[in-house]
Amino acid sequence: MKVWRINVRKQALQIENVPETWQGLGGRGLTARILLDEVNPECDPLGSENKLIFAPGLLVGHRLSSCDRISVGTKSPLTKGIKEANAGGRTGFHLTQLGIKVLIIEGSPTDEGFWVLVINKQGAAFKPAGDLVGKGAYETASRLIEGYGEDPAIALIGPGGEMRLTAAGILNIDKDLVPSRISARGGVGAVMGAKGLKAIVIDASEGEAPPIVDLKTFREAQKEFNKALLEHPQITAYAEYGTAGMAMISNGFGGLPTRNFSSGEFEGADEISGEFLRDLLVERGGKAKTTHACMTGCTIRCSNIFASQDGKEVIVSPLEYETIALMGSNLGISDLDVIAKLNWQVNDLGIDSIEIGAALGVAAEGGAFEFGDGQSALALLEEIRTGSELGKVLGNGAVATGKHLGVDRVPVVKGQAMSAYDPRAIKGTGVTYATSPQGADHTSGLTIRSKVDHLDPEGQVELSRNSQINVAGYDTLGACAFASFGFAAAPETITALLNARYGGEFGEDTLRNLGKETIKLEREFNKRAGFTKEDDRLPAWMKEEPLPPHNAVFDVLEDEMDHIFDDL
Amino acid sequence: MLTVTVFLGTILQKKTPQGNQRRLEVSLDEGASIVDLIYHLDLEVEPDYLLLAVNGRIAELDQVLAEDDKVHLMMPISGG
Ligand code: SF4
Repeated sequence: MKVWRINVRKQALQIENVPETWQGLGGRGLTARILLDEVNPECDPLGSENKLIFAPGLLVGHRLSSCDRISVGTKSPLTKGIKEANAGGRTGFHLTQLGIKVLIIEGSPTDEGFWVLVINKQGAAFKPAGDLVGKGAYETASRLIEGYGEDPAIALIGPGGEMRLTAAGILNIDKDLVPSRISARGGVGAVMGAKGLKAIVIDASEGEAPPIVDLKTFREAQKEFNKALLEHPQITAYAEYGTAGMAMISNGFGGLPTRNFSSGEFEGADEISGEFLRDLLVERGGKAKTTHACMTGCTIRCSNIFASQDGKEVIVSPLEYETIALMGSNLGISDLDVIAKLNWQVNDLGIDSIEIGAALGVAAEGGAFEFGDGQSALALLEEIRTGSELGKVLGNGAVATGKHLGVDRVPVVKGQAMSAYDPRAIKGTGVTYATSPQGADHTSGLTIRSKVDHLDPEGQVELSRNSQINVAGYDTLGACAFASFGFAAAPETITALLNARYGGEFGEDTLRNLGKETIKLEREFNKRAGFTKEDDRLPAWMKEEPLPPHNAVFDVLEDEMDHIFDDL
Repeated sequence: MLTVTVFLGTILQKKTPQGNQRRLEVSLDEGASIVDLIYHLDLEVEPDYLLLAVNGRIAELDQVLAEDDKVHLMMPISGG
């Protein structure tokens, strides 16, 4: 495997050997290592010093169930700290088939304008993006597929990324060619826009799977992992209900963000629940699907396809919990059809649905529209497309929106919007929001599944710490969070797979060691970028304003949080 | 007797000819605990496996139920 370095100013590719210190890392851990090694932590995230790094996880490339994820790393224009946004789809798998351990995009283009970077066995080529510029993500994807066929992987940006909006993400096409697997958070799409890339087309048709040192052991461990995964009772719940099954759980614990995080209980929760959604999709039939896989080989299939009432037209796929909450209950909207339309719009714009959902919640509180008014929310998204002043403010996220409208109740940490768990009711997740180097993030270590009193401040730091280390480990492997059920039931398969793949370098407790190393690297980057413990805090109002129905405030001791990673 | 409201999450919903039921009013003997409720509902899942909440707070299987309690029986999934 090699390092592929693309300089966008010279429009040149350099292929290098993998430095020794990068070899035992992949995915999130590798992006952190490279950022620390090569990027000035104080640089302008949208300037030439920043890099955009695509790193498949350590296990990517072999169609292991749900283990072909891509990590995108960069210095975030939203948080100004380290960022990793991972996604399913094809990108990770295809890169590995070309022998690419990591793709590093660096420099700044000499002039305005956008390019399509085409990567294949022969190398890399820059093609003018032409009239793809300004096009939404869905049309961009179809046009590229027309031009390059159905086999490549494609990572692209929408108008949001072109405008360098700090809520912009990078969209990866899924196994069915839909640009819906999004490295969404922290403005990674703005960085891609600043590099002048509208899309990256990865043609692996002449490629091959990365080498496996001990194929027999690899297959045995794979079998064991698959068995553990398939036998897990949770898997049916994900297959049939997807992440949307979370809505009633969060609501049940009084932690479902409602009307800009002013309540943890939503009167319309049932109508946006995974249970309601499933019934609706079954009833609609046709193109509506309750289960769907984002990548070839995933046996969990947590994704879904939301179709119109007659089942004839796909509205959006997938429709997931975080979006349902941030663009549903958080906006006082209980109509899944409206939420699905909002979701399609933000995807087409190439914007993070969590950040924009939070920004719209702040906007509604600031009087830009009424909570519950889905049509006005849709009209505001249209403003992002036209590039109006308010549109740009919204597209720059919740903090920018709060400043513009004079709203103080902004649910963010390190400038990044919280996901769909109010931290006052789910305090362990609050600790994760506060202390994750990534900013408030639903992929950095959730705690809601744990059988603890989520309202009790005691013990939450330890709970969050464990969860953060585990997910940082899975992100480094390239494993989907839900594959972790299989790995948790058969933990020995992780080391077995890695050693069979790479040849005996990984010891016991690999997952946690990788997770610890990753968080350590990320914290070091943030420290050098100027972050202090004062950045590891929830907004002050969450410590004072009681959240109904439990009237809870966030009261985990700051001193305890400050020591969460002392012994990494 | 006491009556509690039960919310059944994801695959725990009751399949009935009228469709999936996820909210039920259930009458139990005084002193009944959550585990009694689970057996009463005849759910095909290991009780230990479930995530339980009563009136929005995490609960244990042996928690004794009171009149009008809101009980959530859930598969312990998390979001994405
Ligand atoms: S479980 Fe869901 S998100 Fe994970 S790989 Fe499968 S379809 Fe993709």
